[in-house]
Amino acid sequence: METKKDSQTIAEYIKNWSRKHSLFVMAYGTGCGAIEIPATMTSRYDAERLGIRGAATPRQADVLLITGYLATKTLKRVIRVYEQMQDPKYVIAFGSCTINGGMYYDSYNTINVLEKYIPVDVYINGCMPRPEAVIAGFKQLQDKIARGDADNGTRYKENLDWYRANQQQVIKNWRMPDYNW
Amino acid sequence: MEGLAIKILGAVITTIVAFAVGMTYGGITRKLTARVQNRVGPTIFQNFIDLLKLQSKKTNIYHGVMGHFAPMWIITAAITVLMFIPVLHPGTAWYNSWFPNLSFHGDLIFLLYMMVFGSLGMALGAGQTGNPNSAIGVTRGLSQMVGFEIPFVLALVALMVQYQTTSIQDIMTVQRESGVWMMFSNPFSFLAALFASLGMFRYSPFDIVGAPAELASGPVSEFGGKYLGTMMSGGSIFAFIKLTLYVDLFLGGAYSIPELLIKTFALYMIPVFYGWVNPRYRTEQAIRYFWGWPTALGVIGLLIAIF
Amino acid sequence: MNTLALILLILFSGAIVAFLSEKVSKFLPSLIAFISITAAGILFYTSPADVFNFKLSMAGLNFTLKIDEFSRLFVHMIIGLSWLASMYAVGYMQNKERQGTFFFNMLLSIGGMLGIVAARDLVSFFVFWEIMTWSSFLIVVWTGADFRRTGIWYMVFSAMGAYAMLMAIMMIYSDIHTFNIDEIIAAIAEQRLPHLVEASVLLLFGFSVKAALMPLHVWAPNAYTQAPAAYTAIFSGVLSKMGIFGMALVLLSMLKFANPADFSLVYINGFIGQILAWLGAITAAIATLYALIQTDAKKLLAYSSVAQLGYITIGIAIGTPLSVMASLFLAVLHALFKGTLFLAMGAVERQAGTTDMTKISGLIRRMPWTFFVTLVSIISLAGVPPLAGFVGKWMLYEALITNGNVFMVVVVFFSSTAAFLYSYRILFGIFLGQEEDDTAHVKEAPLSMILPMVVMALLLIALGTYPGLLFDPIAQGMTVLGFENVTWQMTVLSNVWGNTVNLMYISTTIGVAFVAALLFLTLKGRKGSRNVGTKDISTSGEIPLEHENLTYQLDFFKPFERAASPLYRRKMTKIYDDLSNGLDALFDFTRKIYTGNGQTYALYVVIFLVALLIYVQNTL
Repeated sequence: METKKDSQTIAEYIKNWSRKHSLFVMAYGTGCGAIEIPATMTSRYDAERLGIRGAATPRQADVLLITGYLATKTLKRVIRVYEQMQDPKYVIAFGSCTINGGMYYDSYNTINVLEKYIPVDVYINGCMPRPEAVIAGFKQLQDKIARGDADNGTRYKENLDWYRANQQQVIKNWRMPDYNW
Repeated sequence: MEGLAIKILGAVITTIVAFAVGMTYGGITRKLTARVQNRVGPTIFQNFIDLLKLQSKKTNIYHGVMGHFAPMWIITAAITVLMFIPVLHPGTAWYNSWFPNLSFHGDLIFLLYMMVFGSLGMALGAGQTGNPNSAIGVTRGLSQMVGFEIPFVLALVALMVQYQTTSIQDIMTVQRESGVWMMFSNPFSFLAALFASLGMFRYSPFDIVGAPAELASGPVSEFGGKYLGTMMSGGSIFAFIKLTLYVDLFLGGAYSIPELLIKTFALYMIPVFYGWVNPRYRTEQAIRYFWGWPTALGVIGLLIAIF
Repeated sequence: MNTLALILLILFSGAIVAFLSEKVSKFLPSLIAFISITAAGILFYTSPADVFNFKLSMAGLNFTLKIDEFSRLFVHMIIGLSWLASMYAVGYMQNKERQGTFFFNMLLSIGGMLGIVAARDLVSFFVFWEIMTWSSFLIVVWTGADFRRTGIWYMVFSAMGAYAMLMAIMMIYSDIHTFNIDEIIAAIAEQRLPHLVEASVLLLFGFSVKAALMPLHVWAPNAYTQAPAAYTAIFSGVLSKMGIFGMALVLLSMLKFANPADFSLVYINGFIGQILAWLGAITAAIATLYALIQTDAKKLLAYSSVAQLGYITIGIAIGTPLSVMASLFLAVLHALFKGTLFLAMGAVERQAGTTDMTKISGLIRRMPWTFFVTLVSIISLAGVPPLAGFVGKWMLYEALITNGNVFMVVVVFFSSTAAFLYSYRILFGIFLGQEEDDTAHVKEAPLSMILPMVVMALLLIALGTYPGLLFDPIAQGMTVLGFENVTWQMTVLSNVWGNTVNLMYISTTIGVAFVAALLFLTLKGRKGSRNVGTKDISTSGEIPLEHENLTYQLDFFKPFERAASPLYRRKMTKIYDDLSNGLDALFDFTRKIYTGNGQTYALYVVIFLVALLIYVQNTL
C-alpha cells in the first residue's frame, strides 16, 4: 500500500514538517489531568524542545488538549473553542475519562466518549498518564501530521450533522451559533 | 535606472537580513531562557518554523477591514523605518552599498514618530476584533509607551542638541571621527535610553501588555494564521531596527555585518537578562518606573549636553 | 462698491435674512447661510488681490480694512471651513428648532472673523472682535443646556479679555493718538510708545482668552462641547485662531519693531515670548491629560483643541522663521482635522443620538465614511507620517531643538505621546469595539454631510506629501510679518542645521510596502478566510448572547491615570471656583455692613458721631 508520505508534494511535505515541529497547544484544563501539563511543559520534561508551546487563545492554537472528564456544561465550551480554532487543527484526548468515561462512566452529567462529539486524533491512555505518556502522545500526533493524515477539521466538517446530533443530544439548552465556514 | 534597480535589490536584501536576524535573536532568546530554566529548549530556528506553520494555516479569520490592516501596518512601519536607518557605516566597505541608505532623507524625529505607526495600526486592528482583552492590552501598551518615551526622548534630545544635528548619520560620523562611542561620551543619556529600551522590547517586567494568562495574550488574542505570522515578522524586523538604532546612536555604529551582530546581540541580551530575574510590573508601576530614575538620568544627560 | 465691504455686507445681511426666513420655512435659514457664504467665497476668490481695501471716516474715526498676505491665509481658513461647515449644516440642522437664531449667529461670527483679520485699526478690530465673541456666545448657549458651566464661564472670560484689550487700546491711544495699526507699528519703531510693554501684555491677555491658554482655558472645553457640531468645527477650527492671529500681530509685528538697542525692550520681548511658549507647552500637556480621561467624544476633542492651540502658541511665541511656519501650518491643519473631527462627531451625534463613548461603540460598519475621515484626521492629529500632521509636528520640534528650548521639547513630546492615548480612545470608543444592539439601527450620514468631511480628509492626505502647497501662502504671509526670504520646498522639510526629511521618499516607501503587504495578506489563503462578527471572539469558550455587552469603555486609561495621579490633583476650575466662593464670602460680609436698611445706616451715623465726640473730648 502506498503511504501518504510518498504522495505528498514537496510544498505539502514542507508545510507538514513545519506543522509537526510547531504545535501551539490550547490546554483545556478540565478534570484532574490539568496538573500534568505544568510538569510536561517545565524543566523536567520540557515539551518546548519538541516545538510544543502554549497558546492563550483558540485563534492561535493548533492542538486542543482535553485533559480529563468533560461535564456536559464544559463540553459546550470545548465545542465552542474547537470551532474557533483554525484549520489544520488537532485534538488530543488525555486520560481514560475521554475514552470511555473512566471512573465517571456512570455519572449523570459527564460524557463518556469524546469521539462522538468532536473528532480526536490521539488518545493518551491512563489515569493519570504521566508526562512521558503525554510526550509520547504528542510524538504520535507529530508522526500523524508528517504523514499528512491529521485532517481533523475536514472530518468534522464532513460529518457535521452526525456530530451536531450527538452534541444536541447531551446539551439540552442548545444555543450555539452556526459554524459558518 | 540601473541605480534604482540596485537600490530596490538592496532594500529587499536589507529587509531579509533584518528579518532573519530578528527572528534568530528571538529563537536564541527562547533557547537561552530554556537553558537558564534548566531545560533543553527549542532550536534557535524555532521562530522560523512557527512562522512557516502560521503562514500555512488553511483558514483565517477576517475581523473587518481594520483587523485586516493591522499586520500590514506593522510590517509597513517596520520596512519603512528600516529603509531610513543606516545599518552599516555608509561608504566604508564595498558591500555597504547593498544596504540602501535613505537616512539622510529622514531624521530622528521622523523615526520616533514612524516607530509608533505600527503600534497604532496594531491597536486599531485589535480594537476592531471587539475582544475586550485586546482593548485592555492596547490601553496598557499605549500607557506604557508614554512611560518609556520620556527617558528615550530626553536621551535623543541630548544627543541632538550636543552635536547640533538631528540626523543619525551625522551622529555616527561624529563617533567615527572622534573614535569615542556615545555610550562613553554621553553615559547618562545612554543609560536613560537603555532603560527605555527595556520597555520597548516588552520583555518581563514590562510584558503586562500581552499577558497570556491574564489577557489571553492581549492585543493579538484574535489574530491567528497569516495575520499572526505577519505580525511576528514585523515584530522581528522591529527588534532588529531598535537594536541597530541603539548601535548607531550609542555604540559607534558598525563597519561590517559581524560587528553589527556582536553589538546588537550584546545590547539585546540586556532586556532579556533583566527580564529573567524580574517579575511583572503593573502598568502604573511600569510608568512610574520610567518616570523615576531613567528620567532623572535623562535630565542629567540633557543638562550636561547643554552646558 | 468695494469688494471687501460687499463680502461683509453679504454675510451680515445674509444673517438677518436667515433670521427672518425661519418664519417662512424651517429649511430656508440653512440654505441662505450656505448661499451667502458661497457668494462671499466666490466674490473673494474671483476678485484680484489689490481690491481688498476699505476706508471709512465716521465721527472723527478712520476705519481701515485691508487684507494683506498674512490676513489672506486666515481668510482662506475662515471661508474654506465655513463654507464646508455650512454645507454640512444643511443636513445637520435638519428638523432642529430655532434654526434662524443659529444661522444668524453663525453668519455674524463668520463676518466678524473676516472683519478681524482685515482690520487695520484697533477700533474696528475691537468692534469685529466683540461681534464675533457675542455671536459665538449666543451659539454656545443656543441649546440652553448647562448654562452655568458653559455660558457664564465663556461670558466672564471673554469679558475679561475684552476689557484687557480695551485698556490696551486706550493706553496706546493716549500715547500716540491713533488707532491705525500701521501707524502704531511705525511709532513703536521710533520708540514713541512708552506703554508698549503694558499694552502688549494686556493685548496678549485678551488674545490668550480666545486661544484658550493655560490659566484662561477653563471656558473652552464646555463651550466647544455645548455648541452644535456644525459650529464647533468653526469655533475650534478658526475662531480660536483669531487669538493666534492677534498674538502674531502683537509678538511679531509690534514687539519685534522695538529698538534692538534698547536692552530692556529686547529682553522683555524674549521674556514675554518665553513665558507664552511655556504657557503653551503646559497648556498642551495638561489639556492632553484631561482629554484622555473624558468619556464624551466631543468634550475629548474640546480638550484636545486646547492642547493643539498650545502647540500653535508655542510656535508663534518662539518666533523663529521655522517655528512661525510650523505654527501657521499647524493652525491651518488644526482647522482641517479638528474641523473634520467635530463634523464627524456631529454626524455620529445625529445618526446615533449621542457622542458618549460609554453608550455607543462599533459603528465602523454602520458609518464607514465617517470612520474613514475620522481615521485620517486622527492620524494627522497624532502627527504620524505620512499624513500632514507629521509635517507640522516635525517643524515644531526642529524649531524648538535648534532654538535650544530643549526642556520644552520634552514637555511637548510628552503631550503628543499622551495624545496617542486619546486619539486611540476616540477611534475605539465610537467606531471600533463591540457592535451592540443599541446601535444596530444607525445609518451613514447623508451625502451633504459626508462630502465636506471627505474633502478635508483628502486635503490632509495631499498635504502629507506636498506640504509645499500650504507653505506657499504661509511664506507669503510671513513676508508681511517681516520674515524675509522664507525658504520652503514642495516635498522636503529642512531645519537650520541642514537636516532634511524628504516626504516623497517616505510616502513612496510606505506606499510600496503597504501595497505589497496588502496584496500578500489579501491574496494569500483568500479561500480559507471567513468573516466573523464582533461576538465571535475568544471568551474562554463562553458564548456571548446578542444582548450581552462586552464593551470595554469605562475607566479606559485608569492605569495611566493612576500613574499620573499627581498631575491630575490640581484643577484650574477648582481654583477659579474657590476664588469666586471667596469673593462671594467677601461680598456677603460686605452686605452685613451695607444692609440696605435705613435704620442700620442711622445707627452707623450715631456710632460715628459718638466715636467722634469721644475722640474730640479725649484730644482736648
